[in-house]
Amino acid sequence: MKPSPWQQATYRHPYLFALLLLVVAFTANVLLQPNLLEPTTLNSNMRVFLPLILVAIGQAIVMIGGGIDISVGSIVSVVNAILATQIGLSGDLSAAGIMMGVALLVGMGAGALNGLFVAYLRLQPIITTFATSFIYAGLALFILPNPGGGVPSRLTAFYRETIILWLPLAFYIIALILLVWAGVRRTRYGRYLYAIGGKADAAYETGVPVRAVQFSTYVISGLMAALGGIAMTLLTGSGNAQVGDPLTLSSITAAVIGGTPLSGGAGGIAGPIIGSVTLGLIRNIISFANVATWWQTFVNAAIIVLALAMPGMINLLRRRNR
Amino acid sequence: MPPLLSVRNVAKRYGAVQALTDASLEVDVGETLALIGANGSGKSTLSKIINGVVAPDGGQLLLDGRAVRFESPHAAKDVGISTVFQELSLVPQMTVAENIWLTREPLQRSGLIDRRTERRRTEELLSLFAGTLRADLTPDTPVAALLPDERQIVEILKAISVNPRLLILDEATASLDSRQVQRLFELVGRWKAQGTAIIFISHRMTEIEQIADRYSVLRNGQTVGEGSMKDATASDLVTLMAPETVGGAFERRRLSPDDLATRQVVLQIDDLRTSVLRGVSLQVRKGELLGIGGLKGQGQRDLLLALFGGTSYSGRILLDGKLVHFTHPRQAMNHGVALVPGDRAGEGLLSIRSILENLLVPSWRAYGFPVRMKRARQHADAITVRLDLKMAGLDAPVSSLSGGNAQKVVIGKWLLRNPRVLLLDDPTKGVDIATKAEFYRLLTRLCDDGTTVILYSSDDEELIGLSDRVLVMHDGRIGSELTGALLTAANLVAASLGVVSGETL
Repeated sequence: MKPSPWQQATYRHPYLFALLLLVVAFTANVLLQPNLLEPTTLNSNMRVFLPLILVAIGQAIVMIGGGIDISVGSIVSVVNAILATQIGLSGDLSAAGIMMGVALLVGMGAGALNGLFVAYLRLQPIITTFATSFIYAGLALFILPNPGGGVPSRLTAFYRETIILWLPLAFYIIALILLVWAGVRRTRYGRYLYAIGGKADAAYETGVPVRAVQFSTYVISGLMAALGGIAMTLLTGSGNAQVGDPLTLSSITAAVIGGTPLSGGAGGIAGPIIGSVTLGLIRNIISFANVATWWQTFVNAAIIVLALAMPGMINLLRRRNR
Repeated sequence: MPPLLSVRNVAKRYGAVQALTDASLEVDVGETLALIGANGSGKSTLSKIINGVVAPDGGQLLLDGRAVRFESPHAAKDVGISTVFQELSLVPQMTVAENIWLTREPLQRSGLIDRRTERRRTEELLSLFAGTLRADLTPDTPVAALLPDERQIVEILKAISVNPRLLILDEATASLDSRQVQRLFELVGRWKAQGTAIIFISHRMTEIEQIADRYSVLRNGQTVGEGSMKDATASDLVTLMAPETVGGAFERRRLSPDDLATRQVVLQIDDLRTSVLRGVSLQVRKGELLGIGGLKGQGQRDLLLALFGGTSYSGRILLDGKLVHFTHPRQAMNHGVALVPGDRAGEGLLSIRSILENLLVPSWRAYGFPVRMKRARQHADAITVRLDLKMAGLDAPVSSLSGGNAQKVVIGKWLLRNPRVLLLDDPTKGVDIATKAEFYRLLTRLCDDGTTVILYSSDDEELIGLSDRVLVMHDGRIGSELTGALLTAANLVAASLGVVSGETL
């Protein structure tokens, strides 16, 4: 069977569907908020989107490798709790730097635990990371039982207000990550990642270190979640042990509409980035439309179900028409 | 000078099955050895021992005269033994080039993959098969978009890209067309001249005669003959391969052709085609037991699946003279067609549920809502008596039954629906002799009661003992039909390999 042009195009550019959605969401958003592209408005949007973007990138890498990470939201919460309690509103910058380093290590440690269970003990990824998410959520609540704490305003101002050459800080961070990813795609590690997600048995037979690569995807996801947690803390400037909760479903949604199949072996990180921005814009539209906030969750869930069902529905239609 | 590889007295047992008892072979540089044998003779086990997928229980592997032991396929690959697997080892989502060079990607000095070199080398490999492949097949084509023959060729290129000392071609020609096979043989000639040793496993006798220098024949896990192809004829090899028939377990009397001819045709198939089948036509009559034989993977399973609505097909199927086209197993079931799958654990039984539930799975609808449990139980009881099922009770889990009794449940659940046509997909695989005999009695009874049975079996003895006729499939077609006195083990083996000589057939 010859693949259709759309299939060929999405194989080469897995983010096409997300791009299409982005154009729609963007157009609707511009109609509601005509100054969207002015540097300050752009910045106020992008700084809100960045935490999800970072988390979704990690999620996508796990998914490319054939897994899934339900614990990313809780890792964000843990990092937020650590920073808000350990740095404090009047903390000095060097302490802040050290604590951020600690936060990154904690994120990678949490990811390593997930990876240990999934890759080496061969536990089912959804169940395992769902279970560990409660461990991390509990840890966050232990560190920060009640919302409070915070980080110095100098730090939050840096995150919130930095605009270089009309472009917000978030753009440069995204550009840097894309650059690193372009390099990774050209390494053997990049090939292995796609091979284990595509057909782990074949990869193993060919000599790919399947388990080590699987393990590494969870560590990367933990690291990205920790970066997302730092961004989230600098955005809100305060601590809340449940701040990461909504990010789990959103990150999976962003990865899926960004062309990363739940079955693994395909996709990239440009898709999830575009997907995250799209979700953010949809959230804007909903808040402009002045409807109850639970619509956000509804739309989020509806999009993921739709994106997952799409290939199946297309196949069903094809079989009917045959 | 010792030969490149010699295998000495290798044995291997899988559970209760002794796959190899005493297998030996030798292959030297620049030589093609054909490894041949009937179904279940141990060819693939032997090749898996050579390439490190399976560890032998006994015997020796000598490489360049030194004893070696491979812990994994890698270990074998590292010493230059490369295999073209039947089950493909390609990642569908990746491109042709990415698949061929996976784990051996050419690198630049910076450590990044040198995609230009990778592309060039892939093109060089693809050019080996130039003219037999689609023109738009490039190194960047994803493997998922390839046809089966093209995937097979990529698999061959992947195996040859390591410049192996020994190349094992395990049924590598099965999905190739004749031009591609010819090209492969030219290449084999070239690789041989460069000093590569080749072990060729194929079910096509003409191919073996064309490229093999020497042969080694396996029968029932034992090497029974080897020599130079020059000194052997196809019929010599067939004689070596044919297993001695033991007989005994069978008590079915064949229906005479005259008797059969008077019976009503239940099922007629005209020019059935699927992705595997290439035009199959046949007729089965009431109460007949039709055997389907041939080497594995010649389309037997597809034939049964097409009849059961499990795969799409073109062609005509007439059931009791009426044209039917099943697109779903349910439709086949409603017309009295039942399929007993070979993989009973995976497809035939809900192993943790009770015997009662397993028997009733296809028939719950007949008992209404809420289910008339008492009647269902009576019917199930009647079936277990008919099957002579040895069990603790209807409520015992199916997993508590022995293999043979579990297999009876798989058949029993269809008997509740009184099938007119029973399709059996290698039903006695891995079943001990006593249960086999019991199973044969059941089949005999069913046929006597007027059920039409189509039996695919990989066990030649079983086919000969049970069937009224055997159709031997070869490459998606019916190669030959064996009836009456012609239905012998030697003829079955010969027909499986596509050897047709005027005297025997």
